[in-house]
Amino acid sequence: MSTFLNILVVGLLLGGIYGLVSIGLNLIFGVIRIVNFAQGELVMLGMYGAYFSYWLVGMDPYVSILVVVPALFVFGVLIQRFILQPLQNESMMQIFATFGLLLLLQNVILAITRGTGYTVPTDLSTVVIDIAGLKISLVRLIALFAVTAVAVGMSWFLKNTLPGKAIRAVTQDRRAARLMGINVELTFMLTFGMGAALAGLAGTLLAPIYTMSPQIGGNFILAAFAVVVLGGLGSVWGAFIGGFIIGLIEALAGYYLDPALKHAVWFLVFIAVLIVRPGGLFGIAGAEEVGLREQH
Amino acid sequence: MIGTVTRRLVLGMSAAVALSLAADTQVQAQETFKIGAINPYSGPMALYGDEVTRGYELAAEALNAKGGILGRKVEIVRGNAASPQEGIAAVEQLAGRDNVDVFIGTYLSAVSAAASEAAMNYQKLYWDTNALAANLTERGLPNFARSGPYAVSFADQSVELVTGLLAEALGKEPKDLKVWIEHEESIYGTSIADRQKEQLEKAGVQVVGMGAHSAKAIDLTDSILRARDAQPDIWINTGYVPDGNLLLRTARDQGFKPGAMVLVGTGDTRETLEALGAESLEGILIVSYPRPDVTEQYGPGSQAYLEAYRAKYGQDPLAPQSMTAFVGLKIMAEAIEAAGSAEPEAVIEAAKKMDKPLNTYETGYGAKFDDHAQNVRTPPTVVQWQNGKVVTVFPVAAAGGNKLVAVGKQ
Repeated sequence: MSTFLNILVVGLLLGGIYGLVSIGLNLIFGVIRIVNFAQGELVMLGMYGAYFSYWLVGMDPYVSILVVVPALFVFGVLIQRFILQPLQNESMMQIFATFGLLLLLQNVILAITRGTGYTVPTDLSTVVIDIAGLKISLVRLIALFAVTAVAVGMSWFLKNTLPGKAIRAVTQDRRAARLMGINVELTFMLTFGMGAALAGLAGTLLAPIYTMSPQIGGNFILAAFAVVVLGGLGSVWGAFIGGFIIGLIEALAGYYLDPALKHAVWFLVFIAVLIVRPGGLFGIAGAEEVGLREQH
Repeated sequence: MIGTVTRRLVLGMSAAVALSLAADTQVQAQETFKIGAINPYSGPMALYGDEVTRGYELAAEALNAKGGILGRKVEIVRGNAASPQEGIAAVEQLAGRDNVDVFIGTYLSAVSAAASEAAMNYQKLYWDTNALAANLTERGLPNFARSGPYAVSFADQSVELVTGLLAEALGKEPKDLKVWIEHEESIYGTSIADRQKEQLEKAGVQVVGMGAHSAKAIDLTDSILRARDAQPDIWINTGYVPDGNLLLRTARDQGFKPGAMVLVGTGDTRETLEALGAESLEGILIVSYPRPDVTEQYGPGSQAYLEAYRAKYGQDPLAPQSMTAFVGLKIMAEAIEAAGSAEPEAVIEAAKKMDKPLNTYETGYGAKFDDHAQNVRTPPTVVQWQNGKVVTVFPVAAAGGNKLVAVGKQ
């Protein structure tokens, strides 16, 4: 029984990591309707940002959030304004542009680091909370709290603030939103900036857990896409709950079946859910089609 | 009239100058013995490609001080290849543009496989010093030889470590030892793990479980918990740096402390020290390429090699692969000298006639090539993390005064 509990805890902690990486992706995917292939690389930049802050001034990764998150927000706004906005009438080209960005970011970091793996040291990374034999790594627990806080915060922001309402309006119908006086371009920039900032937050929180490499974003992104589609496009809570579903399936299948099969198992569940609910668990049916409609 | 004569004279003189220049260039081209070094100099493995090539450069300098190869100065020409396709392109470029005499490489086995076949089209030797995949020599390619260790050497050395030093340290007979074999799931980890299982069982050791994991997995707790449940005396893992680090962290977090933990191939660099910290790493063993700290009796000249490296690059080797590359180029030069030419069949024939005992070279290697042109006298060594540093602990002859620490039930 304690083993089972242990696996559940492992799955929840892993779900927190998946959710953290997915929330920003879902925001961009759900609102701007761009499949941002470079989202994993934005997470990677967050990790290297934490390392750079440490290397430069000895900053703890949890403090570096104050620097990295705003920096990624600005970077996201710039990407939207100067790369994606000029291509806004060509949605396929936008996807290719994000793919190009992926290659560019990976290779720039590679050129700077020469491929050496780095880890950001923090005293917290060795702390393990032992509750009756259940081992909980503190840095993973922090990620879990962070994703919960982000989900609550995002949900509140989208419901209760003017920019949040603008984002929701744009998600529903760009043209009608524009007619209501909403600056769609500005909303897109804000959304992409937020998505990038959330990736940056994920990166800084994950930096103490992993040995980073320029390709590490790719390790998260496949699962993140599955989480987003499973949870439902554009749904904050979908990404949050989807992360836990994938995390729990992975932990249970990895332990009780075979670690080599765990990804195959969650893909099976993922496909099964999509057959039953094409819009994802928390999405609106047909939301995945919105991006294909004319929306100028 | 005078104008015509002058013009002819000038033309003639220019032609003569041009001809003599061309001849000069040709002589110069013949004077240097060009070695095309195929390795990743960009991409995620660039650090290691560079490191391997530093070994070649040091060997070239040493050879040049003694007159080079076949009386010609040795020159290393780099060919960047991080993928098999790039390996083929690098061979085309080095053979076509630079007219290299032979090829040497390769940190990446997949690149070696493709590039050596491309080199075959040019009838040029492909001498491998660092690739590990067993099938490279098993292909029986007539221009291919490997002077360094291969996957089997690493697997066998880890088995000898278990049945020798670790059995003794844990106070158990090999038949009473329980071992868990973990590996990354591609051909690299799987082939080594399969060989380990076969050899351990042959020695009577109980293999209580095998686990495969993806090197890109973002969580490996399941792998560690399965191993922990089997309560092994010894846990062995073959993988890459990121997954190895994640496994060690997870083991620490989950309180998994078997009698001994052994990594194969990676885990002995700064990347792992930074990720785990000296305290968590204390006692972890790594089967790796021989390092310059092996005793002079085991690896004659290893100290001089270290000093030469420091003098040229202003630091200690970043990874242990360079000394194996250094020795590999030396062995190749000996084979070429013995053959009297760089023609592949002749060189490989000469290599197969070599019979140098173990402990001939800086790495402790000897030179005895089997039918597939694989040097079979290339034992890796075993190092251990002790107080944040890696020291050679096995074979005992290589370790000198170094003793095993922190092994046994905690």
